[in-house]
Amino acid sequence: MRKRLGFIFWLAVAYLVVLALAAVFADVLPIKDPAETFPGTSKQGPSLTHWFGNDGVGRDVFSRVIYGAQVSLVISTVGTVLALVIGGLLGMVSGYFSSRVDRWLTATLNATLVIPPLILFLALVLFLDGEAKRRIFILVFTFVLLSIAPIARVVRAATLSWAGQDFVLAARTLGARDGRVLFREILPNVAPSFVSYSLIIMAGLIVVEGSVAFLGLSVPPPTPTWGDMINKGRTNLDVAAHISLMPAIVMFVTVLALNFVGDKLQQYFEPRESVL
Amino acid sequence: MKQAVRDQLGRIVAVALLATIAWAWFWRPPFSWTFGVFVLIGTVGAGIADGRYALRRIAGVIPVLVGVSFVVFALMASLPGDPAINILGPAATADQIAIVRTELGLDEPFFNRYGNWLGGVLTGDLGTSIVLREDVADGISRSMTPTLQIMAYSVVIALGFAIPLGIWAGYRQGTKTDGTINNVMLGFLATPNFVLAVMLVLFLSIGGLSVAGNEIGFRVLPAARYVPLGEDVVLHFKHMLLPSLALAMGQAAVFMRLLRSDMIATLRLPFIDLARSKGLPTRRILWRHALRPSSFTLLTVVGLTVGLLIGGALIVEFIFTIPGVGAYIFLGVTQRDFIAVQGGVLVISTLYIVVLTMSDFLYLALDPRLRGREVGARA
Repeated sequence: MRKRLGFIFWLAVAYLVVLALAAVFADVLPIKDPAETFPGTSKQGPSLTHWFGNDGVGRDVFSRVIYGAQVSLVISTVGTVLALVIGGLLGMVSGYFSSRVDRWLTATLNATLVIPPLILFLALVLFLDGEAKRRIFILVFTFVLLSIAPIARVVRAATLSWAGQDFVLAARTLGARDGRVLFREILPNVAPSFVSYSLIIMAGLIVVEGSVAFLGLSVPPPTPTWGDMINKGRTNLDVAAHISLMPAIVMFVTVLALNFVGDKLQQYFEPRESVL
Repeated sequence: MKQAVRDQLGRIVAVALLATIAWAWFWRPPFSWTFGVFVLIGTVGAGIADGRYALRRIAGVIPVLVGVSFVVFALMASLPGDPAINILGPAATADQIAIVRTELGLDEPFFNRYGNWLGGVLTGDLGTSIVLREDVADGISRSMTPTLQIMAYSVVIALGFAIPLGIWAGYRQGTKTDGTINNVMLGFLATPNFVLAVMLVLFLSIGGLSVAGNEIGFRVLPAARYVPLGEDVVLHFKHMLLPSLALAMGQAAVFMRLLRSDMIATLRLPFIDLARSKGLPTRRILWRHALRPSSFTLLTVVGLTVGLLIGGALIVEFIFTIPGVGAYIFLGVTQRDFIAVQGGVLVISTLYIVVLTMSDFLYLALDPRLRGREVGARA
């Protein structure tokens, strides 16, 4: 009997798809220019013309949230994919090969976990210049650096358990080379666990990007980011809370949806290991 | 004699730790002393329990510490731009730049500089901050107190939520209660701590949203500023409550989920059936018999989350204008003061490593079942 993923799962997926599409096609969709200031609408609450209200200088919060999603989604997706490829490869190699390779890799990866993420990030931010492209590059680089070790750990554990199975032994007895065993026998079995885990990593990266933007160190100002919007909105929190509240809600729902989908997928693929 | 000490090791170590906390509470020694005593107790305890393991662990930590110091130094040394120009400003003459460069020792070869710096670090000299014109070690130890307070309070709050909820959800596994607790906690897990902090300020300290002239929210707690514990105890906790809560809830969710799954595993063991058939009340079975064997993963993770808490503390300090280490490093970053950042990152990473090692040592001393075996999941 197939298990069902449930209504809320599909609702979360639908939300994520809609958000991603809106972010990708923001330029062609009939939404307002995120940089345009509408005279006389400063700090106005949500209305029919401005769904999420207007910020301190009268810009449309809704369109800024959509454009802000671009930054969050691009950085977190690219970061996750890169981390997945590198971390997944390292994890598989580490779990499959002899104890010496494994020991060295594990030790090196553990060493990257020693510096608390946000602190390491701040140290790297010193390298940032004003230029937006370079900044995005360093942001992604740091995020990848931060997420390789956790991914490699999960993949290593999964590889270890699969590498001991009879069909892997059979493949090796038949003379399959290590590369083939890794990619054709082990990878398909390990993949589900790290696909679902990658969604959780992605949610984590959105939060980190948000934190960094909140501190004013992400992509520089003309480009809207969720974290920056929440931070800037704090000055008007007592009179126009929606300026902070709206991006905060969208961010919360996005992270929640990603976590939820990742969680459900994990339970779906491996009901036994659905601990965290 | 030795065997007698070993048999009672857990109790002795626990009493020593509590005594240290009490001593620190009443006499307020400098933070580094308290920390040193903790490290001493942990090391001696682990040494008595399994001397060879303790030595191996310490031998393993030293290269990591050296490695971290090297990475931090190399990172800061490879920063683009001339630090001397950063200090003097763009209008500086070549002579001035040369003087400052010699003062900072920038003209020496890389490894000499690293050696000098490391030598200084070992004697407690982290250099002088460029912008604040202040000894970095002094600055960091001053800002350490608020950060550690926030972290300590938030761990206490997180455990205060997580333990009862985790026990209850594990006991009622699969029921509606379990589902509700799980979903609420998943919500907290998904809330970035800065979002939670802004929401807490909005709803608990500045009156919340006003809908049709009605306030939905409260004005009960202060939103910013730091009051030292020594100045006013009540005010101190009032000011610390929101920042600690903002930091705690995400942790509470992680802790609760861990404890829940361990509780479920423990509750299936035969000794629980025995306890039940003896007629013990459920509450006693859960809190007395099931909690202890279920809590070891939780304790390991509490140690591991210290690193996350430091990052979170940074944001929370930024929002609530608390002069902690995070705020100190952040100031260093925005002012491009690489000496302050270097010192801060080094101190925090070192603390983190020492705390992780200590948490392993303490289990070894406290839990007799672990002796003679590898402790923890980490190598």
